[in-house]
Amino acid sequence: MYATTAKILRVDLTTGRIETQTLSEDFYRMYPGGKALAGYILLTELPPHTDPFAPENVLVFANGLLTGAPVSTATRYVVSARSPLTGGYGESEAGGFWGPELKMAGWEAIVVKGKAPKPVYLWVNGDQVEIRSAEHLWGKFTAEVHEEIRRELGDDKIRVLQIGPAGEKLVRFAGITNELRHFNGRNGLGAVMGSKNLRAIAVRGSQRYQNLAYDAKTLMGIGGKLAKTVKENPLSWDLQQRGTPGLVEPLNTGGILPTRNFLQGAFENVDKVKWEAYEREIFTASRTCYACAVRCKREVKVDGRESPYGGPEYETVGAFGPNCGISDLQAIAKANELCNAYMLDSISCGGTIAFAMECFEHGLLTLEDTGGIELRFGNAEAMLKVIELIGRREGIGDLLAEGSKRAAEKIGGDAPYFAMQVKGQELAMHEPRGKYNVGIGYAISEIGADHLVVAHDTAFAKPEAIQLKSAAPLGITQALPPRSLGEEKMEMFYILEKWGSLEKVTGFCFFGPAPRSFIPPEDVLQAMNAATGWNLTMDEALTIGERATSLARLFNAREGFTRKDDTLPERLFTGLENGALQGQAMPRKEFEEALTILYQKKGWDPRTGIPTPEKLRQLGLEWAVSVVSEQLSVNSQQ
Amino acid sequence: MKFYAGGHLTFYMPGRRHSLEIALPQPAPLREVLTQLGIPLPEVALTAVNGELVEAETVMVRDEDVVKVFSAVNGG
Repeated sequence: MYATTAKILRVDLTTGRIETQTLSEDFYRMYPGGKALAGYILLTELPPHTDPFAPENVLVFANGLLTGAPVSTATRYVVSARSPLTGGYGESEAGGFWGPELKMAGWEAIVVKGKAPKPVYLWVNGDQVEIRSAEHLWGKFTAEVHEEIRRELGDDKIRVLQIGPAGEKLVRFAGITNELRHFNGRNGLGAVMGSKNLRAIAVRGSQRYQNLAYDAKTLMGIGGKLAKTVKENPLSWDLQQRGTPGLVEPLNTGGILPTRNFLQGAFENVDKVKWEAYEREIFTASRTCYACAVRCKREVKVDGRESPYGGPEYETVGAFGPNCGISDLQAIAKANELCNAYMLDSISCGGTIAFAMECFEHGLLTLEDTGGIELRFGNAEAMLKVIELIGRREGIGDLLAEGSKRAAEKIGGDAPYFAMQVKGQELAMHEPRGKYNVGIGYAISEIGADHLVVAHDTAFAKPEAIQLKSAAPLGITQALPPRSLGEEKMEMFYILEKWGSLEKVTGFCFFGPAPRSFIPPEDVLQAMNAATGWNLTMDEALTIGERATSLARLFNAREGFTRKDDTLPERLFTGLENGALQGQAMPRKEFEEALTILYQKKGWDPRTGIPTPEKLRQLGLEWAVSVVSEQLSVNSQQ
Repeated sequence: MKFYAGGHLTFYMPGRRHSLEIALPQPAPLREVLTQLGIPLPEVALTAVNGELVEAETVMVRDEDVVKVFSAVNGG
């Protein structure tokens, strides 16, 4: 058995019991890491309707099949649990160094159950595992804890994954960070960690991925070739030069830069927040993840000093900048730092604050509610104050720490209309009214509004563009307009979703494989086969991706999610107020028809959005048929 | 003409600089300017001349124009 250490570390924080589970090759071939492994564990071990903050919630940290391989962008691991933000399948991926280190320590995954009686952290030193007190770390900012754990364990090469004060306080969009710069931001999984009194997991390993590979020479050859390609491919070259903040100006020009809580698609002060301003005012250096030649990460100065937390990605610039009507780049960088110190998901945090600003503008929140804060669009000082209040769950922050959906339900009136969320999770900074497949992705994603379900429509608009041409090995050859739906577009979506899911199983970053970036699909497949010796075809690889998505879908079906939850905020069915797409709306009828077409392609019941027994058997998930049908029967009686 | 190439179009620019000043003695089709710069037309997803969105394939540009072209931008 190759590519895997075949070991899962299981920790029960209630009892303090630590155990090792060994995986069989037959099992691993079906669920080869990441999203697939996490989905299987959650579906089989987590009882339906478990309170996300109960000790019974199962928290999974799962490496991808290729995480830690000497291949650029294969760095990511999945964190999964029932989400306190959505109530459904929770999942968030991060790159950095922690996942590869876990692999080097000999573990594919860590499964945490129970709740420690007092704050603890986990110390994984190869096969030596220890639960240690974190009482002295509780309440401290992440940068301080990062240094303190390394100092305490006497090794500055230890990789530290942790939550911050926001996770301790059960903020429903609290995230998890590793090495202070890489984030499992989405779905509130940091709050699940906090509910278990688990502050951090420190890891140190000494193995090498190459020693696990079936054909290490070929694998390293692919890695070497790709590392050289980075500077020769326009897509990866651009990521290296600008990082994600380079997206701001082109999105604005196209009228799809979310502005003022998605009311608008263009920001009048874009020049103050675009990449050139970022580069001039705050940028200091580039950084990278484990063994990745792309180097898309940014380092910045905040308050005149080097930030220990890295720089804001595009999502953060968008969420705290245009979407809050703010053009003060220093304030945006400070917001990023605060989110990372408290460890909040910057997308949901920015989205929730933009929601609150609109509520304030409409009188649904008052100065009395905010404690005297003028929470209007454009008020950077107010934004920064509110981030801290959320991180501490104080004042108005306690309400907003619930996320925009729950906060809107408490505020009442028109507030739910202003909550730009799907399944309880706030929209990322991508405007579906200009790229319809992003809207379909927001709607059907099992984790709520997620922008990384499929490569975005704009890549496939022109027949001779490099991104479309690079998708040919996946079976995508036809150019289609970004603002189109229908049969052919849904076929494109179906393929891209399987491919995107495969990335989350294998541990690839969204910025690695084509069509989003520079790694040809054939090389992804070859790397998988060199690592495992499985000799997979592309169809078989895509089926792995589809199986992983189906597990998550089944999890949600069991929790009572149906087609009615696969929708978009009402605002998106109305016209944009300004920009190049002024007046353009997501067409409701075509949107609903497209969902039906997509469900049929995916083998889901078009009435319920739930995978059919036939489809589950086709995916090798026969065992799930009875599990799901029993619970669906219970749900229908409630 | 002030010319800016954003997204991965910068990759194709001379010296991989994002901005250039180009002298245009007389109005010219933008597609010819792009060809001379080595920017592949199929890679141009958005074109703005003096802040207005236009079609790169058909627009004429003049010496006093500010022209911005962008590649298709994706998520992440």
